[in-house]
Amino acid sequence: MKALARPPLRSTIAGTIAVLLACAAPARAQSPSPISAASPSYREVTDETGRAVRIPQPVQRIVSLAPSLTETVYALGLQDHLVGDTEFCDYPADAQKKTKVGGGINPSLEIIASLHPDIVLVTKSFNRLETVHSLENLGISSYATDPHTLDEIIASSKKLSDVLGAPEAGASVAGDMQRRLADLQKHLGSLPPKRVLFVVWTQPLISIGKDTFIADALRRAGAVSIVDSDQSWPQVSLEEVARLQPDFLVFADSHSDSAAPTVEMLATLPGWKIVDAVTNRRFAVISDAVNRPAPRIVSAIEELARQLHPDAFVEKPENGKEKLEKENPPPNPKPEAHSPSPLESMQSQMAIPGGCPCDH
Amino acid sequence: MRPLTLRRLLLQCLILVLILFVVVVVALKFGAVPVSLYALGRDLLHLLLGQSSQISTDYGLIIVNIRLPRILLAIIVGASLSVAGTSFQALLRNPLADPYVLGVSSGASVGAILALIATPFLSLSPALSALLTPLGAFLGAAATIAAVYFLGRRDGQIDSTTLLLGGVITGSFLSAIITFLMGTVTTGNTRGMVFWLMGNLSTSFQKSVYWFLGIGFLVAAGAIYTTASDLNLLLAGEKEAMHLGVDVPRVRLVVYIAASFLTGLAVSVSGSIGYVGLIVPHVMRLIFGSDHRTLLPTTALGGAIAVVFADTLARTVVAPNELAVGAVTAVVGAPLFIYLLRRRLA
Amino acid sequence: MSALSAHARHLAEAGRLANEIRLSVEQVSYAHSANPAQAPLFTLEATSFQARPGEIVAILGPNASGKSTLLKLISGALAPLSGRVLLNGFVTHSLTPRTRAQRIAVVQQESALLFPARAWEFVLQGRHAHGPSLRFESEDDVLIAKNALAQVGAAELSDRWMDQISGGEKQRVILARALAQQPLLLLLDEPTLHLDIAAQIGLLDALRRLAAENRYTVVVVTHELNLAAEYADQVVLMQRGRCLRVGPPSAIYQRELLEQVFQTPLTVDFGSNGRPRVTVLPGT
Repeated sequence: MKALARPPLRSTIAGTIAVLLACAAPARAQSPSPISAASPSYREVTDETGRAVRIPQPVQRIVSLAPSLTETVYALGLQDHLVGDTEFCDYPADAQKKTKVGGGINPSLEIIASLHPDIVLVTKSFNRLETVHSLENLGISSYATDPHTLDEIIASSKKLSDVLGAPEAGASVAGDMQRRLADLQKHLGSLPPKRVLFVVWTQPLISIGKDTFIADALRRAGAVSIVDSDQSWPQVSLEEVARLQPDFLVFADSHSDSAAPTVEMLATLPGWKIVDAVTNRRFAVISDAVNRPAPRIVSAIEELARQLHPDAFVEKPENGKEKLEKENPPPNPKPEAHSPSPLESMQSQMAIPGGCPCDH
Repeated sequence: MRPLTLRRLLLQCLILVLILFVVVVVALKFGAVPVSLYALGRDLLHLLLGQSSQISTDYGLIIVNIRLPRILLAIIVGASLSVAGTSFQALLRNPLADPYVLGVSSGASVGAILALIATPFLSLSPALSALLTPLGAFLGAAATIAAVYFLGRRDGQIDSTTLLLGGVITGSFLSAIITFLMGTVTTGNTRGMVFWLMGNLSTSFQKSVYWFLGIGFLVAAGAIYTTASDLNLLLAGEKEAMHLGVDVPRVRLVVYIAASFLTGLAVSVSGSIGYVGLIVPHVMRLIFGSDHRTLLPTTALGGAIAVVFADTLARTVVAPNELAVGAVTAVVGAPLFIYLLRRRLA
Repeated sequence: MSALSAHARHLAEAGRLANEIRLSVEQVSYAHSANPAQAPLFTLEATSFQARPGEIVAILGPNASGKSTLLKLISGALAPLSGRVLLNGFVTHSLTPRTRAQRIAVVQQESALLFPARAWEFVLQGRHAHGPSLRFESEDDVLIAKNALAQVGAAELSDRWMDQISGGEKQRVILARALAQQPLLLLLDEPTLHLDIAAQIGLLDALRRLAAENRYTVVVVTHELNLAAEYADQVVLMQRGRCLRVGPPSAIYQRELLEQVFQTPLTVDFGSNGRPRVTVLPGT
């Protein structure tokens, strides 16, 4: 008597498990919409990556997955509708009290879902497309921004205010930004721009590409980046910097006193010593608002302009000073809010120019 | 003398199935958002009875649409990687072999990265663009499987040593391509690429993908299982196996293709989750022995248990952030392996 | 229908055919060419011999005389360049590996187990060819394996781990696995190489007994002159790829011939049982 093996039996066991759990999948189509709004009316818009997005009206609950978007929401006065943001969202101080959903790359879908948002705000340079898709699978709409110039930042904020249902605030914020930039342009007039190296990271030396909004911000501040690259975060060779000899180094600093020691340290290194700006300690430090495509970037631009072209601002010192105190945030008291999660610092330590160690 | 019987096999599998069930319940309960056991039980009951509309909006969405698919993915990925690892260890006669040793995961990574680069340029429907990355990864895996097969032949048949060499070289070559792509690509989803390479189970897919995964796993694992006795003999030596009646070239081909397919399946949807395919087969071997008729089903179940458990830890310990699943498997699995090894040697 | 009664029928059948030729090696040759551009090197020139059930054939010769190649051709693992090997009328090379394993058992010198196994597991592997590939071993399989171990006197080794028994014990278990295949033909390549004298005698005694009891045809490759003389019914004398003589030891063991083949002075006497005995003389 032979006992015949029946391999399908083992497969049946595994198959039963698979089937039982696969039964869970059909529920997705039938599960109730997570939207908590009383009257489900929608509005169709196209976001800045060209996707069609359905947004419930009115927008009551917003989740932001990028610090720049959080800042914009606050600038538009919609902070009471913000129910969740990322752990990197630290400005203004109130944003730190919101429910945290994790990082920008892999936020917790569970927490986002439990917040029942009407809309989730994402931006192409900080978040992943897969997150958008996963949220879609859960029936949650995401709106993406993708600004590359100051004009686009202004337009983006305006469009966002319209999408979120606060067009007047948007118009006001946009107008303010445009006015200040025009004002700045008047001061700078036809002065020749200073040639600068914007330092994202010193070792390896990483700067910004010509198509980034940071490059555009530099231009508005009467400067021009000596780096001419198509990449967003290009790794620059020191030889090239020595050949081009920038007038200034520019640091975006969250701790306002680490730039000076950094330059001191660079001055001792053989490769850096041949860069005049290092030996002559010609560097500018601005707030890290320049890293975030949000209304506050204009303050950073003004800051930079004053440091690079001090003579252009001798007239009307009071106005300038007022603006500086009003818009410039005090140094952040909690350094760890700026320090990257282990994940992000791991990425930034990999010598991959595509990775960005700073938040924006 | 206690030869293997069907009854003993089923009993061993049943124990593991029960453990898996417990681990799944734990995984459903724990997460970034706290869920009570009562709510969990109630919602699952509604689900099984087909009363989907009665699932509470608070927990239902999270349990049914986020955790359950993720657990299902973990089960399939864990089972696939473990079966593939066991198969390669037998095929290559090497206890250090894991599912990635023949370059399949590097090929899948290249495919995924190319897809991530290309996605912004292609105007696809949202459904298709979500599928592009796993599809690209799968195609990359398939191309690598074919290339390594042709590299690994000698006299028209797969030869274990040649296969291993060909696979390792191909894997290194593809890894270099990945580094090159990551360093020079200007547009595209760079953060997404880095994240994908680390391996994660957090991506959710459409229903059809889960069906494909489940059926693909059953077909490939089933094909490998039909060679279980042959694999036992292969491990006693290739010439011996042939003299004992094993059609060695045919068995090698079937196992190579099926195991590589399983690896490609897992990597396409979850990136390269490490250590599972290496450690789980050895743990199961220490507990249940080297007879592949038992080993293959028990590693499948063991792998599912390991990955579900590791993933639950990964997404709860530092919530709302997540740890890398592969790292958790290594940290938890290695000590267990050492303990079992010492117990056996003592 | 139990496999035991099938085995009994097999024996009866074999008994009927006792005087019929079972193994027929007909003009087989083999050439090995490492480099396609060069002319092939003839490892074995056309060789023929025949064997009956219950016979022990010794393929005898110095190193590199083509003995192992001849054995591989008989086992069906290699295809001959010319000629053919017939086992009960079937060409061994054209059988499938599974069918071949049911009829031919190759006894290895060592076992190359990657993961540890017990002796009974090892012996059970011999039953693999006698059923569908994926199955659980039946009671008959278990009985045959037990029987095989008993026949080689290794029944008490059944539960021991293969990597924990001595060389001689391992050799017996390996032989038991071959017996579990219930073959018609047993092939051994230099089985006495790693064994001490007592183990050598023990092995060959067992082979002679088993060949008689179970009507196996046994082909042994060896360079041991006296073992071949004592135990073989037929000797195939090889030198440098050529078969010089085929016949019973008394006919083959002539002093001049052996001296020429083995390149060393020796004397040949005859023992009381009529078998030749060779004494190698020390060099002058």
